[in-house]
Amino acid sequence: MTKKAIWIVDDDAIYQIIVNKIIQRSEMFSAISSFKNGKDAIDDLHNALENNQHLPDIILLDINMPIMDGWEFMEEMGMIKPKFPKEIVVYIVSSSIAIEDKNKSKSYENILGYLSKPVTVNDLVLIASND
Amino acid sequence: MKSEKKQTTFIRWFLERPKTTGFITFLFLSYVAAFIVSQQYKLIKEDEQREMNNILNVVHQNIEQALKNCYTTTLTLALTINDKGIPENFDYVSEKLMESNSNISAVQLVPGGVIKYIYPLNGNEPALNLNILTAPNLRKEALKSIADKKMYFAGPLELKQGGVGIVGRFPVFQNNKFWGFSAVIIKLETFLKASGINNVDDSKYYLKFSKFDIEKQKEIFYISNKTDFSKNYSINRTIPDGNWKLYLISKNKNYLYSQIVIPGIIGIILAALFGVLIFTLLKIPEELQSLVNTQATKLLNSEIKFQAIFDQAAVGIAHINSFTGNFIEINNQYCQLLGYSQQEMKERNFQSVTHPEDLEEDLMNLEKLRDGKINEYSMEKRYYTKSGGIVWVNLTVSPLFKKDKKVTTHISIVEDISAKKESEKLIKKSEIRFKSLFEDSPIPLWEEDFSEVKNYLQDLKLIGESLETVALYFKMHPDVVEKCISLVKIIDVNTMCLDLHKVKTKNELILGLAQIIDKNSIPDFTKQLIAITQGEKKLIVDTKIKNKEGEFRDVNLRWNVIRGYEKSLERIIISTEDITERKYSEKIIFNSQQRIESLINTIDGIVWECDAATFNFNFISQKVENILGYTPEEWLGNPTFWRDHIYSEDSTWVQNYCKIKTNDVLDHDFEYRMVAKNGSIVWLRDIVNIVIENGKAKSLRGIMIDITKTKEAEKELHNSFNLVTEQNKRLLNFSYIVSHNLRSHTSNIASIVALIESSETEEEREQMMELLKTVSCSLNETMLHLNEVINIRTNIGLVSEPLNLEDYITTVRNVLSEQITTNEVTILTEIPDEAMINYNPAYLESILYNIISNSIRYRHPSRKPIIKIKLLVENDMKVLQISDNGIGIDLVRNADKIFGMYKTFTNNSDSKGIGLFITKNQIDAMGGNITVESEPNIGTTFKIYIQ
Repeated sequence: MTKKAIWIVDDDAIYQIIVNKIIQRSEMFSAISSFKNGKDAIDDLHNALENNQHLPDIILLDINMPIMDGWEFMEEMGMIKPKFPKEIVVYIVSSSIAIEDKNKSKSYENILGYLSKPVTVNDLVLIASND
Repeated sequence: MKSEKKQTTFIRWFLERPKTTGFITFLFLSYVAAFIVSQQYKLIKEDEQREMNNILNVVHQNIEQALKNCYTTTLTLALTINDKGIPENFDYVSEKLMESNSNISAVQLVPGGVIKYIYPLNGNEPALNLNILTAPNLRKEALKSIADKKMYFAGPLELKQGGVGIVGRFPVFQNNKFWGFSAVIIKLETFLKASGINNVDDSKYYLKFSKFDIEKQKEIFYISNKTDFSKNYSINRTIPDGNWKLYLISKNKNYLYSQIVIPGIIGIILAALFGVLIFTLLKIPEELQSLVNTQATKLLNSEIKFQAIFDQAAVGIAHINSFTGNFIEINNQYCQLLGYSQQEMKERNFQSVTHPEDLEEDLMNLEKLRDGKINEYSMEKRYYTKSGGIVWVNLTVSPLFKKDKKVTTHISIVEDISAKKESEKLIKKSEIRFKSLFEDSPIPLWEEDFSEVKNYLQDLKLIGESLETVALYFKMHPDVVEKCISLVKIIDVNTMCLDLHKVKTKNELILGLAQIIDKNSIPDFTKQLIAITQGEKKLIVDTKIKNKEGEFRDVNLRWNVIRGYEKSLERIIISTEDITERKYSEKIIFNSQQRIESLINTIDGIVWECDAATFNFNFISQKVENILGYTPEEWLGNPTFWRDHIYSEDSTWVQNYCKIKTNDVLDHDFEYRMVAKNGSIVWLRDIVNIVIENGKAKSLRGIMIDITKTKEAEKELHNSFNLVTEQNKRLLNFSYIVSHNLRSHTSNIASIVALIESSETEEEREQMMELLKTVSCSLNETMLHLNEVINIRTNIGLVSEPLNLEDYITTVRNVLSEQITTNEVTILTEIPDEAMINYNPAYLESILYNIISNSIRYRHPSRKPIIKIKLLVENDMKVLQISDNGIGIDLVRNADKIFGMYKTFTNNSDSKGIGLFITKNQIDAMGGNITVESEPNIGTTFKIYIQ
């Protein structure tokens, strides 16, 4: 099993550090990239496509972010999706326990799951092994 | 025969033309007279001519004779000339010659043209030696005589020796050589005497003697008693020897004409008289003829007329043999009446076509007529038509010819009266029907005669007077009314009248109105009198009668003039329907109606009724005045009142809703607004029931209840509900915020703790501990924020006080002075001096600070920040408006987030997403509101509404 590339999109700096540690601990992923908001992530996706760089296999996405939130990111990604040479799986990772957000996540086909913070190593192992 | 006929036509031609014939006669007779006269004239003329010729002949012969004698004398005298040319015995011979010819007054010998010898010389001396060939008056004649070698008589001329005479010169030739003349002189007087002129009857004629003077080339007359005789009849004779002419002239100029003119005129007059006579004679028969013609034409016309009358008369006419009854002549109408042809009728007699029931009477009548007992008769009888039907006729028979006073034929005139008979039958029938209708009518009917009443009123000069005048008059004169009552004649009444008046026989009523009428009913009777004076033909009035048992009954009296009696009022039909029961029920109905109405009016709502199709109201209760201020009269006076007074916002849907519900025949209950009379808006609940008639909505009935107060309460309730909902929403939102913000920290803490536990190195553990501290700080910060918010929310008893806005702006300026200076910010204020607002001082400072600092923080990189602060009034609310020229916010994307907690829109590290959240909470807590308008790259405007 080849290791997968993972992107983390979240404005919480502390969370970024923590999740990096956890990913490293899990040893399930080949590469980790962090983004402060949806806008940074989507810009990188564009770049990667243009320059034929590596695209992520999995994106962990927060909902509440400045500039471009999780939902907006999903809309943007949906538009460039046909250009992707492979499937990119998205997991929502949020501290929100609001049922509205959970339901809304189900309306996006690319969103494979909804994780409530805190994220554990086990969660990541499951994500990585879930094809 | 033919010629005779021709002759007669010829004669008739003349007889028929008296004028022409008279004229022709006149012409003919005139011609005859003219002919006779002309013949006579010819005879007379011939006679006279003959006579004159005779006379002239005698004269001529005498002259000829005398001239011949002269010729002889000259010749004899010439013989005296010897060979030598000298006369021998001239005197002697001359003497002898003179003696033998007494006419001659002298003789001459003129040798060589010179008078040498004259006998008797005595008295003739002056002529001696006259050369006639040189004498101017003699020369021409002399030369002519020589040339002709013939004797020539010159003159008459003035003789040298005196007097007038004729000179006959005989040229003498010796040896063919002119010797001279032998001449004789005859005195004219003598000459004429010899000619016998004197013997001519000078009463009738006269002679003229002329000579053509060669010298003067004109005729010269010598016997000159009358010179101009050209108009008289004359004859003449020429005497060549002397170039003389003899004229015999009739003395009477128009002697001959006078002889013929008179008979001519008489003839013409006679002819004219005859012509006139003939004309007159012929005229008489012509006049007679024309008279005859006129009479004949008249006769013919009258015959044609009669024939036409006979043929085309609208009645049947027949000439009938009185004995046999056969039709001798019959016209078309008669035939048509019976359906036979003329030929068929002529083969029949009247007995065969007469109805047997009428025949006997007809024959009896005819017998009387024949016997001369009657002169004519007429009867109504029936004929059988050819088709077997019966036709009713009115027959009139009159005798035509009487021989020995016996009737042999008669004229029958028949008139079709079938229609009349039919209508008579119908009239009878309808009369019976009417009678039974009248008699058996369920309503009491009276047939009355008001003619005397009318006459009486006419005598009083009340007919046609004005209503008021008449009414007053009757009021002032009750005796007149009473008199009128007595003048009404009751002709007939029906059985119902007996019932009504509780009497046994009609007579009791027919006796007169006076004994029936109750004094209470007199005013109603007066109405009838007034109606008569106004010329009205009918009158309907409710009145009372008192029957025989003394019971009062209400009656509906209908007074009608029967058609045809409008002038005289001889026939009036009066019906007096007993309406006592009806009146009673009406009263009950009226009472119950009144009760219902008073009931309706006590209901605290407007009870109404309207037409289902038009929504035009036909009833509205008094309550409308209490609720809406309009009187029922106002409302019902205008068909579209309801529609027109619905509050404009509701008008369309209310009407549509009502239409739909009514069409679906559904009762409905709905609420809408109406405009009251004082202009206020009244909320009504309208509960509508549909009244159905024959399966269709006939009318709508309903009740309008004033629900304005309920509505107001409802509105208040609604408002407070909204407030609660809003607060609830905010609370929920807040709880989410709390949960979310706390969760993000707690989850971080949980993760760090897990990492610490599983960390293998001390270094890592320390790293985690550092992180934990950071998280702890953040959590603390968040808790502080939340505390702050909770403080705002829980601060219900916030103190508001009047604040000088300008002062607070200055304060904020000072706080932000460093940033303002660094970023070259311009703050412009448009606030009235000393503008005061009622606000919590801490909040006002916080709000101003947050918004102004935001404006500076989100300034546009390419321009200097300008912030404008204004105080406006919008909808009675003070509005603090703060606008900048910063980067703006994309409201399309962020409208719902802008005032949310921890909502940030930039990567600006200063953005915490808490300022506007707190600001909004503060404003809400003050009972105001905040709105935002923004456009990216242009700027943002906040409006703070201050209560």
